[in-house]
Amino acid sequence: MWLAAFMQLTNDHIDYIIKDLNYRGIVADGIQEELIDHICSGVETEMSKGKKFIDAYHHILKSFGSTSGLQETQQEIIKSENQKTKIMLRNYLTIAIRNLRKHSFYTFINVAGLSIGVAVCFIILLFVINEVSYDKHFNKADQIYRIQSEIQFGGNHSFTTYNPAPMASALVANFPEVEAATRFREHGSYLVKRFDDNIKEDHVIWTDSTFFKVFDLPIIAGNAATALREPNSIAISERMAKKYFPNENALGQTLILDNKINAKVTAVYQDLPVNSHFHFDILIAMAGLEEAQRTVWYSNNFQTYMLLRKDAYIPDLDAKIKALVDKNMMPQIAELLGPDFTAEKFAAAGNKIEYKLQPLTDIHLKSSLQGEFQPNFDIAYVYLFVAIALFILTIACINFMNLSTARSANRAKEVGIRKVMGSFRLHLMRQFLSESILLSIFSFILAFGMAYLLLPLFNQLSDRHLFIPTGMPILYGVLFFAALLVGLLAGIYPAFFLSAFNPASVLKGNVSLGMKSGMIRSSLVVFQFTVSIFLVIGTLAVNRQLNYIQNKKLGFNKDQVIVVEDAYALGDKRLIFKDEIMRTGKMSSATISGYLPVSGTWRNDNPWWVDGRDPAVQENLVSLQNWQVDYDYIKTLGMHIKEGRDFSLDFPSDSSAVILNEAAVKGFNFEGEVIGSKIATFGDNAQGGPDKEHLETLTVVGILENFHFESLKQNVTPVMIFLSEKPNGNISFRFESHNTQEIITLLEKKWKEMAPGQPFTYSFLDESFGRMYSSEIRLSKVFNVFAFLAILIACLGLFALTSFTAEQRTKEIGIRKVLGASVSSIVLLLSKEFGKLILIAFALAAPLAWYGIDWWLKDYTYKTEIGVGLYLIAGVAAFLIAWLTMSFQSFKAASSDPVKSLRSE
Amino acid sequence: MHSPELLKGTLQTILLKVLKDNGRMYGYEITQRVKELSAERILLTEGALYPTLHKLEAEGMLKTEVVTIGKRVRKYYSLTAEGKSLVKERVNELIAFIKTMENVLQVELN
Repeated sequence: MWLAAFMQLTNDHIDYIIKDLNYRGIVADGIQEELIDHICSGVETEMSKGKKFIDAYHHILKSFGSTSGLQETQQEIIKSENQKTKIMLRNYLTIAIRNLRKHSFYTFINVAGLSIGVAVCFIILLFVINEVSYDKHFNKADQIYRIQSEIQFGGNHSFTTYNPAPMASALVANFPEVEAATRFREHGSYLVKRFDDNIKEDHVIWTDSTFFKVFDLPIIAGNAATALREPNSIAISERMAKKYFPNENALGQTLILDNKINAKVTAVYQDLPVNSHFHFDILIAMAGLEEAQRTVWYSNNFQTYMLLRKDAYIPDLDAKIKALVDKNMMPQIAELLGPDFTAEKFAAAGNKIEYKLQPLTDIHLKSSLQGEFQPNFDIAYVYLFVAIALFILTIACINFMNLSTARSANRAKEVGIRKVMGSFRLHLMRQFLSESILLSIFSFILAFGMAYLLLPLFNQLSDRHLFIPTGMPILYGVLFFAALLVGLLAGIYPAFFLSAFNPASVLKGNVSLGMKSGMIRSSLVVFQFTVSIFLVIGTLAVNRQLNYIQNKKLGFNKDQVIVVEDAYALGDKRLIFKDEIMRTGKMSSATISGYLPVSGTWRNDNPWWVDGRDPAVQENLVSLQNWQVDYDYIKTLGMHIKEGRDFSLDFPSDSSAVILNEAAVKGFNFEGEVIGSKIATFGDNAQGGPDKEHLETLTVVGILENFHFESLKQNVTPVMIFLSEKPNGNISFRFESHNTQEIITLLEKKWKEMAPGQPFTYSFLDESFGRMYSSEIRLSKVFNVFAFLAILIACLGLFALTSFTAEQRTKEIGIRKVLGASVSSIVLLLSKEFGKLILIAFALAAPLAWYGIDWWLKDYTYKTEIGVGLYLIAGVAAFLIAWLTMSFQSFKAASSDPVKSLRSE
Repeated sequence: MHSPELLKGTLQTILLKVLKDNGRMYGYEITQRVKELSAERILLTEGALYPTLHKLEAEGMLKTEVVTIGKRVRKYYSLTAEGKSLVKERVNELIAFIKTMENVLQVELN
């Protein structure tokens, strides 16, 4: 075309144009070249009309609108190109990936911190969801209530799950809003056999036939309406059915319980899910239990659960139950204690018997009564866990914010150029946000994998059966949105901060950023370390309290005692068993008693009074533990006689002797000499109830030092021990040998010989004692892990921050070294700033931790002293860890060769 | 010379039609061709031309190829299949618009 006719520009001309356009700010990729070609073509046209090169060039430039017009054109082009969001997004992503890859060290720190934080959060979330889901699987869970009792009587004050036997039927009979009620009665574990061999089953309970009305468990075989009606009928879980009747129909078959009950299976129900507050495997019909038919209101042995109508009004029902109890119970007590007794006097003496409804769904998190079926959890700990999860996530997010803003010095130029090139603030914010969201999504993917791998460990630690519901699509959606949200939260501050730079001053190099800038950054570091130090102090305190409990003087010696459980399986041969084992010479003493100073063993509470005083006078009654033991009980368990003597075969009259603990002595408030005094209570009548015609008396022969027999959360309550004609329960042996395996083998061999087919179970007293604190021990372990992770993530951030500062200050360090600064003075210089922050963090964390520890310890009657020392240890530890983290980078920077850092500028 | 204000709405249509009639062209060539066709009454400014070209490219209406001539790099634009179908639509639209304007302004054109 006409192009050929024009004269071509020389290379010099073209170079001139390129340089000049560059100078005028036309630099954008793709645009620069196109404009050059356009201008060249224009210049050629003009020159062909006889103009000189320079005139032609300026003529063309003018048509563009000179420099400003050129730049505007460039901006317009960029803008129009970017109007397509797809391209923009791709652009953001590309730049983000390039940036992250370029600064892989910071990316690594960010991803590591964030993914650990998210994994922890995720696991805790699963945990919390599990905890709050307890018992909600029952269809009418929100209509099921349990009755809790508060009894204050004879110096005892207890909150229990136990109610009188006639309560359930009275509720249904009197109140139309109670649709159904069912009772439970625990009798410990049972030996179960189908043919020959007994297996010990722990989750066995007596219950009414209305069980399936209240709890709508899916029935696999049998009829829920007719099951558990007859005496000796049982319902078993699917697990039991598979265990005892593999590949058979269990329905109608027979199991033998405790070698005496021939129980017929009348229903098989689906196993109770993990998140239930009970896990009964065998239900025995209450119809076969004599004590369940009694009408005594003042004896509390049964748990009562009921299904209410939807419209039931709870406070109303509470009041009605109170009236019902007053109407039935008070006359019975009056009859027992004599005509002087009135409900008013009873209350005036500070006594109280109160029954209240407790929602089924509250039991797992809000209830810790005596007689819970299994240990519950505490809602406070759920909140605590959530708080910790959020803290850890925040610490991780702060790392991200701090690193991004700290690196802003390096990115300031980029921001400047981008702005000059026409980036709006919004574009820049989008760019920075896309970087953080990308990082966040990546971290979430990593965290998911981490959580998957770590969950079994956590399950072991917390004694739970959590799993990730991988089959749920909603999970991934939630995770994705969480990733977006976290990315947004972590990125929003850097995005605002960085995009606010003024391009002119940034490009002049006026922005002095790096470490000195940023109150915000400092406060974020302070926040991170406040939380970390708080967790460390908390963990140390929990550990110290647990240690204190484990080593406290208990009033008995828990070590070197082995307990052979379920001695009743030996039948009448348990004495022979004990004697034969003693004859081997391996044991130093032995005792037969079901009452042991660890929770979960037998307990029996009855009121006694000093013989001769009037039992109708409330103040005279002392409600205390009545423990039946044998001769060597005190010796075997290593308890201490404070006054008087132990039971002895030399005194035939000891069959009516009693030994009291100090708390009991105090409760009775004897006049004169304690030893030799007599105490009395009503004997049993033919129905097993108290017989006021017949008094039973015992003579005090000794006083025991107080010993702890329940968790140290509780005070020592009064206990009396007396000899039993037929000692039963467990056989405890004290042994000297350190070869426990030998002891176990010896016992097991003898057991197999004397009780073939019965399961041999044993425990060590110190282990049973430790189990009383298992939830605390678990808590402390979980705490340890969280505190460690929090510190780790915070230190990761600090590590990166220091290395960044050191990098920023390489020149300064070089000059200082040239001028004679020592390595140590430079390390100090670099650590000083953060050191200050950590001190502030400590000052903030210490009072918070003090408050938190105080709150936790208030549950314990016996608590360790948390001195200043513990706070100092935690503070120094945090400081040292942080300092070590920093000093690695500081030292590296300080010991580097100044020649290298100063050589080039 | 026509005012740039009047030109604004029709620029895309002009570019598309010119590219349809002439095949591949580069930026400067387009300005010259339009100048010629309009008897110098329509002068495309670079500030309007290039942003519009890039926008059409980003939208997938135009495709480009780059040819190196010595030190210079020349970028040729041509219509994509999608762009080709757009031309007819845009031209018809403009004709309809002109007809409407006749009625609105109460004038008769040839």
